[in-house]
Amino acid sequence: MRLELVAHTPNVETMIATSMLTTTSGAQPSTLYDRLLNKPDKVKEIVGRAEVQHGNILEHNRLVWLLEATDGEVLETTLDTSFLTFTKLSENKWLLSGNLRTVVEYAQRKKTPLTDALAASAKNVAPDIRFLEED
Amino acid sequence: MLRERFPSLGWRQLLPHLSYTFAVERISRACSHQMVRHRVASFSQQSQRYITVKRLNERVVAPPTVEDMEVFRCFVAEASEAYQTLVDAGVPKEDARFVLPNATETSLLMTMTGAALFHFYGLRCCNRAQWEIRGLADAMLAQCREAEPEIFNRAGPYCYMLGYCPEGRFTCGGMTEAVERYTPGGRG
Repeated sequence: MRLELVAHTPNVETMIATSMLTTTSGAQPSTLYDRLLNKPDKVKEIVGRAEVQHGNILEHNRLVWLLEATDGEVLETTLDTSFLTFTKLSENKWLLSGNLRTVVEYAQRKKTPLTDALAASAKNVAPDIRFLEED
Repeated sequence: MLRERFPSLGWRQLLPHLSYTFAVERISRACSHQMVRHRVASFSQQSQRYITVKRLNERVVAPPTVEDMEVFRCFVAEASEAYQTLVDAGVPKEDARFVLPNATETSLLMTMTGAALFHFYGLRCCNRAQWEIRGLADAMLAQCREAEPEIFNRAGPYCYMLGYCPEGRFTCGGMTEAVERYTPGGRG
């Protein structure tokens, strides 16, 4: 099994922070996003206090990978989670995508080489979320 | 980027992997209720549990059919007064909001995949959709067409995408005009 992140929503943590503030701020979401783009320290602080049970704030971010895996490995994954999307490219090659919440919750629930690789991708694009820290 | 990296994939195969996020601002709660019926989407909406609604009469979406009617303006004024009275009396905002009308403005972030957006446009750009969400869908489609014309010039109401109206006996009867309106370079 081999996983390569090929695309993701830009400014992942800014999107998470915007989502968090949208629910509790009277400011418009586009205004919040534009303001936060220039405040990385503020974004880090907001994202750092996100709670895992409010995972919907992660859903505005999507990640896309090139996956090399057997049909059996993909079948096992699709049986594990309904929210990842696969498109077969060629023998043992797949385009795989999912939103950040799906990735985080799957990695929290099950430990496999694939979920480890998915979690590493998530940590790479959103290093300040606490959900994937080791116990 | 994905099209360059995977040129053998057709646009339909790419759609479920593409993601679009919109800041939808100053729509009515009536409109947002319709939006959240599209379940294959993600929403982060301003919460009336945390955000106080100030000057309600300036924070409503008024349908053209009632915006000049005294009964509508009076109702909004009375709802505004009732809400403020409750908040001033110490009633939690999550309870005071029960007197707010569907016309109350709201804003939200909405994210959909390309595939979900095609379905959204199919239903909500249709002449039979309610005017506010149809206007929103048209504005969203215009932005998608600007960003990804090769993909989203194919999107519009279902009659435009399918070549026939799937609404059966509820058809608006205006398919020819609708198709012309959504055809790039059409009368817009």
